[in-house]
Amino acid sequence: MGIGTYLALASVLFGIGAAGFLVRRNMLIQLMSIELMLNSVNVVLLAFNRAHPGNHDGQLFAFFVIAVAAAELVIGLSILIAYYRIKKTLDTDDATLLKY
Amino acid sequence: MSALIGVSPLLLLVAAGLSIMVIDAFAEDRTELALVTAASLFVAAAVAGVLMLGDDITTAPELVTRYLAVDRMGLFFDVVICAGAGLSTLIAGAYLREHGFERGEFYVLVIFTAFGAMVLARAVDLLSIFLGLETMSLGAYALVAYRRTSARAVEAAVKYFLLGSFAAAILLFGSALLYGATGHTDLLGIQQSVAAGAADPVLTIFALMMLVVGLAFKVGAVPFHMWVPDAYEGAATPVTTFMSVVVKAAAVAVLIRVLIGAFGDQSTMGLYTGWTPVIIILAVISMVYGNLAAIAQSSVKRMLAYSSIAHAGYILVGIAAASEVGTFAVSAVLYYMAAYTFSNVLAFGSLILMGSKGKEAVSYADLAGAGRRHPMAAFPFVIGVLSLLGLPPTAGFFGKYYVFSAAVQAGGPMVWIAVLGVLASVIGAYYYLKVIVYLFMKEPEEDAPIAVPMQSWYVVVALIVAGYYVMKLGIFPSQYLDWAVAAAAGVIG
Repeated sequence: MGIGTYLALASVLFGIGAAGFLVRRNMLIQLMSIELMLNSVNVVLLAFNRAHPGNHDGQLFAFFVIAVAAAELVIGLSILIAYYRIKKTLDTDDATLLKY
Repeated sequence: MSALIGVSPLLLLVAAGLSIMVIDAFAEDRTELALVTAASLFVAAAVAGVLMLGDDITTAPELVTRYLAVDRMGLFFDVVICAGAGLSTLIAGAYLREHGFERGEFYVLVIFTAFGAMVLARAVDLLSIFLGLETMSLGAYALVAYRRTSARAVEAAVKYFLLGSFAAAILLFGSALLYGATGHTDLLGIQQSVAAGAADPVLTIFALMMLVVGLAFKVGAVPFHMWVPDAYEGAATPVTTFMSVVVKAAAVAVLIRVLIGAFGDQSTMGLYTGWTPVIIILAVISMVYGNLAAIAQSSVKRMLAYSSIAHAGYILVGIAAASEVGTFAVSAVLYYMAAYTFSNVLAFGSLILMGSKGKEAVSYADLAGAGRRHPMAAFPFVIGVLSLLGLPPTAGFFGKYYVFSAAVQAGGPMVWIAVLGVLASVIGAYYYLKVIVYLFMKEPEEDAPIAVPMQSWYVVVALIVAGYYVMKLGIFPSQYLDWAVAAAAGVIG
């Protein structure tokens, strides 16, 4: 399999994540979609590291992405819990308190 | 140890952040924490300032300089970020106590968010850009959600977090593609690879555009501005102050490093090719939309949010001009950032000063007549909005003057962009002067609650410092411009 196959897989994953974020109305699903996008980035990094075998920058980068994604999830879930406690819903259509 | 002197402001903040966590566990009186935090930030700003004006700063080991630039621009942004964060902390110390929700973690978050912003402003590797951006953003999300029992604050945090993570994912995908196209994650290697023609041009430009989307989001440029009004309005006002100066400064710095540092090559990135037209379009719609939308607001806080979108537009004009006139345009952007930081702290700080327990001042109506009842409290507000408007002799005037004259020097379509920018600033006069009209020429409605200014030396000190620099940058700009030029000289490849 060439690098194109991996890139196609990553693009499809990224597209599904982006579409999920834009289309779905549940914040938890949107959070999961963002995680899917981050994982597609990892696929790209690992595939390109094979194309540039001189160093391990791509694999190194992927480890950092995994770690930061976990940290982001912690902050994100806590904000969503705080939100749910007040609003009793996670529907984005109900987040209408702030507008002019 | 002397090898790490160039990054000492960063190390100082880490030490301060960790110590404050420990102090918080044992402290009885939390107001001391505000002072300790602000003092550490001011010390870091002073150290960065001394290093910036010194002779020898480029002695960091290769392990550091591979990821973090040790140059005058990094130190310049250290000063701006630490000063902005320190003044916001002083204001927050008074605000949080007055409104009764002071907890120690606030100050720790401020320090680590400022640290992330400083890392981002120095980042010269895709990896450190990503890590700096996330360190800063995660802290900022938590700061917006800090009042976790307030529905508005939490809603603002949810919107900011979801959109911010989405933008970060796009930026990350762009980084991965850029790595694939060039085989490098460091900006220097990327620049050399692109200059040598070794990189796939289509993949490179596609990746660069994804990076620009992610960074334009953090700068708050239209059409990636949707989070700005909501996050700025929902967050506690000192947090808004903090975000509007710190997050924006760091994003502008990294935009300069990526666009000018790595992709500033004249032969491929002129006024009609590469990233410049994209930045010009973002600048134009940000200036026009930001100013027009600000007119429609009834909340001063939200008006200042839209005005910060407009200011992002002016800054992007300077960055677009930098593809032609290099150093001068970058120094104009740096000067603008310093002027904007102090003016914004002054405007937001005065807004906070106008409210007291149980009655925060947020809308124009809250300010009605306050200037006549409390002229001393209204005075800094007037200077702040006049500087944001860009009236001489304030800092904002020279900021706009330098940015627009850089655009005129760039020539071609940039001249018309400068004209448009001046026209957009004139629109801005409407809503900035409206603040002064309400302060001095209106009376509060019958049985409307009357805002009483809070009594706090913290806010007074922060406003005096910010006001001093707003006037000083406006009356004696040449010295500061020289510093900005020295800082900008290092990034032009």
